[in-house]
Amino acid sequence: MIKKLSIAIFILIAAVPVLLGLGYALMYSLGLTGILSEGFTTTHWEETLITTTFWKSLGFSLYIALVVMLISLFFSLWIVISWIKQLNKGSLSYITYLPLAFPAIVMAFFSFQLLSKSGFMSRVVYKMGWIDSLEQFPDWTNDEFGISIIFSLCLLITPFFIILYSNLYQNERIAELKALAITLGAKPSQVIFKVIVPILLKKSAFTIMLFVIFIMGTYEIPLLLGRQNPSMLSVFIVQKLQKFNLADIPQAYAIAVIYILLIASIIALVYKTRPTFFNSSSSS
Amino acid sequence: MKKVLQILFALSIVFPIGFLVVLSLGRNWPYPVVLPKSLSLENWSFLQQSDSELWQTFLLSLLISIIVATATTALAFVTSKQLAQSKYRNKLMLLAYIPYVLSPVILAATLQYYFIYASLSGSVAGVLLAQVFIAYPFAVIILNNFWNHKIKSMEELSRTLGSSSWQTFKKVLIPVSKNALLLCFFQTFLISWFEFGLTNLIGVGSVQTLTVKVFSYVNEANIFYAALASCLLIVPPMILIWLNKKYIFATETVI
Repeated sequence: MIKKLSIAIFILIAAVPVLLGLGYALMYSLGLTGILSEGFTTTHWEETLITTTFWKSLGFSLYIALVVMLISLFFSLWIVISWIKQLNKGSLSYITYLPLAFPAIVMAFFSFQLLSKSGFMSRVVYKMGWIDSLEQFPDWTNDEFGISIIFSLCLLITPFFIILYSNLYQNERIAELKALAITLGAKPSQVIFKVIVPILLKKSAFTIMLFVIFIMGTYEIPLLLGRQNPSMLSVFIVQKLQKFNLADIPQAYAIAVIYILLIASIIALVYKTRPTFFNSSSSS
Repeated sequence: MKKVLQILFALSIVFPIGFLVVLSLGRNWPYPVVLPKSLSLENWSFLQQSDSELWQTFLLSLLISIIVATATTALAFVTSKQLAQSKYRNKLMLLAYIPYVLSPVILAATLQYYFIYASLSGSVAGVLLAQVFIAYPFAVIILNNFWNHKIKSMEELSRTLGSSSWQTFKKVLIPVSKNALLLCFFQTFLISWFEFGLTNLIGVGSVQTLTVKVFSYVNEANIFYAALASCLLIVPPMILIWLNKKYIFATETVI
């Protein structure tokens, strides 16, 4: 009885809201509900899939997610491999945790005050005589490459991976494997690229996948630091929903449906290939 | 060289905190002056006025986060045990990951209609409920790992020695799960404390949490108050993370 009730509560809170939201978004996008509803139509879906702004937004979100992950993984692996002793003891072991206290909106605000044309960096560069006016400072915020978005996300995510990898380094007894590889004649570069990095990446593959999805759906940072076109998916959807043009709402819901289905498909695909990923007690 | 890099790394982490504190003390920052011209504690004077708007916002955020963290941790503790012992454990965990990885603002966008229909839009109750939708699955994911064979054996031993279900729960399971519960509470508190998009959409600007306030100040170009609200936002997580690191990470490996 308790087991059934627990499963029912879990499904009610974890799955039902997602299904209800998906259902409403699907109905709205198909013209079955909403203010402008005139019955079933696939027009909004056709318009969504034809317009380049949606694909640009999806591509931009994926680009940001992949670049952030690559940079964060590079720095976190490099820092952990180089400073593992310091990361486990002393002040560095505490300092590394500090960025976890930063909400995304605060990091976005900090990055804006640091990197914008009138920000701290621009002022320092001006004082050093490298630029003569504010306009000469490069566009690092609201730019087409999402430089400040990437910067903010890297600041938020890299410490998390440093902590994760320094824990994995101990749990997977990498120091012992390293010593063994050296005894067997491996060069330092071989120890890093053939032993340490593959183990750490393999053990964190699921977390990396989750973070790519996380970053694709991030909202606060691109809202403050991004531009209207291309914008990241969540900003794109909310902007379309909150515009005065009511005709945009069904398209916003169509994009939301695509995004939810995309996430669900990725997770289902991982479940199909590696079911133990979702139960870390059995996978470890 | 290694030491220099480590110092630079430490500085790059500490710099944002120092920068925000300096900005929160500032009043006048014309270009190209590097630091604000006047620094004083004037912006922080709200601390002496219990009825100030920022205090109210801080307390509301704290209240929402404590309620969400307490409710989701308690509920997840009871339900995750049953889920972990279910033959559908992996499938249920798969479901738990969907709201957790789905962008909260997109979930809020698709659920907005129901919140308006239930008259929960723009209310604290609505924001609480919406935050539970994303914090509870995460709490289940954290606590799922706790219910292993060792805990099951302890529970069985307690029952064999004659204790009732309630006694086993109160005298065995709660004490041994103290660290896992604290970790879960901290993490769900942080989810709620950091939340902006979902809170802003469901709260429609009427429920002013600290994250919403930072955004309002940024929109008003009031950078000094935005910095002040940002400082208030990072203090409680810092305390929690320090406690987490000092007392829990030594025995738990879950991040």
